[in-house]
Amino acid sequence: MKHRMAKQMVLFSVIGTMVAMAFMASSIIFPLPLLLVLAMSIGQGIAIFALALFLLAVALDLQSSGVSYIPADETVPETGPEAGSESPPAPPVP
Amino acid sequence: MLHLQSTEQLLKAIALACAALSVAIGAWYLIRRPHLHRVTKTLLLLGLGVFPLIVSLTGNIASFEYTLTRPFCGSCHVMGPYLRDAEDPKSNSLAAMHSRNHKFGENSCYTCHADYQMLGAITTKMNGMRHLFKYVTEYASTGPDGEGGPPIHLYKPFKSEACMQCHSMTAKKYLEQHADQVEQMRSGDVACIDCHNEVHPLALSRRASARREEK
Repeated sequence: MKHRMAKQMVLFSVIGTMVAMAFMASSIIFPLPLLLVLAMSIGQGIAIFALALFLLAVALDLQSSGVSYIPADETVPETGPEAGSESPPAPPVP
Repeated sequence: MLHLQSTEQLLKAIALACAALSVAIGAWYLIRRPHLHRVTKTLLLLGLGVFPLIVSLTGNIASFEYTLTRPFCGSCHVMGPYLRDAEDPKSNSLAAMHSRNHKFGENSCYTCHADYQMLGAITTKMNGMRHLFKYVTEYASTGPDGEGGPPIHLYKPFKSEACMQCHSMTAKKYLEQHADQVEQMRSGDVACIDCHNEVHPLALSRRASARREEK
């Protein structure tokens, strides 16, 4: 669930960054006063928001992968009626 | 001046290259939709963090440098008469003469109109935002040279400090020529442009006619 949300956030972040880059590049190519002000305020705002979203998505992804991490050399705990019950060790067979 | 312009061009080129790289990484992610592996995350960190940061820094500096130039000041159509006069090689106005001076060059508007204080650049740019607001709200739909809009005027009286950046008030020649006014000049009662008033003659005549029309 978290991994899916992280992918969605990254998607929005990528789109946001592309919009911000288009804004800023257009203001560099056509340096008109209004475009400059908009690009360097709204454009940079979108870019910062997109970066924050990406970093949050990475944090979420790392968190979710940490929860489901199972090392290969560890056994999975048994499930069933006996699982978790403390039984005395069986006597040695003569 | 040439060096400054080339630096500005270099910064713009860096900004555009980084913007292109950032967009390319974004497009790659949108088309391929890869899993968020370490390589993907590193590439996205470059595309969404590092490159946009470079674009922002270099773009801001290059844009700020450009906002100091005369073409930028003249990009609002109401500044047309001022710009044409300043760039007219035959004009004898103060604006034109100073614009022909290589020490002013392309930055002639900013050099004379910027506030001369420690925070002068900031207050000047704040005034620039005010210009933009006024332009959008009052002058955007006016005639080719701003006809029909309210007369253009300075927000505050033009101070002689701007002239004194280059013209010393203690020079011998100045003292000889301004012997009668020197005390008044130093106290601020008389400004340079009170006598040397042929600053923007075309624009001033247009302003006077606009005022007559208003009456």
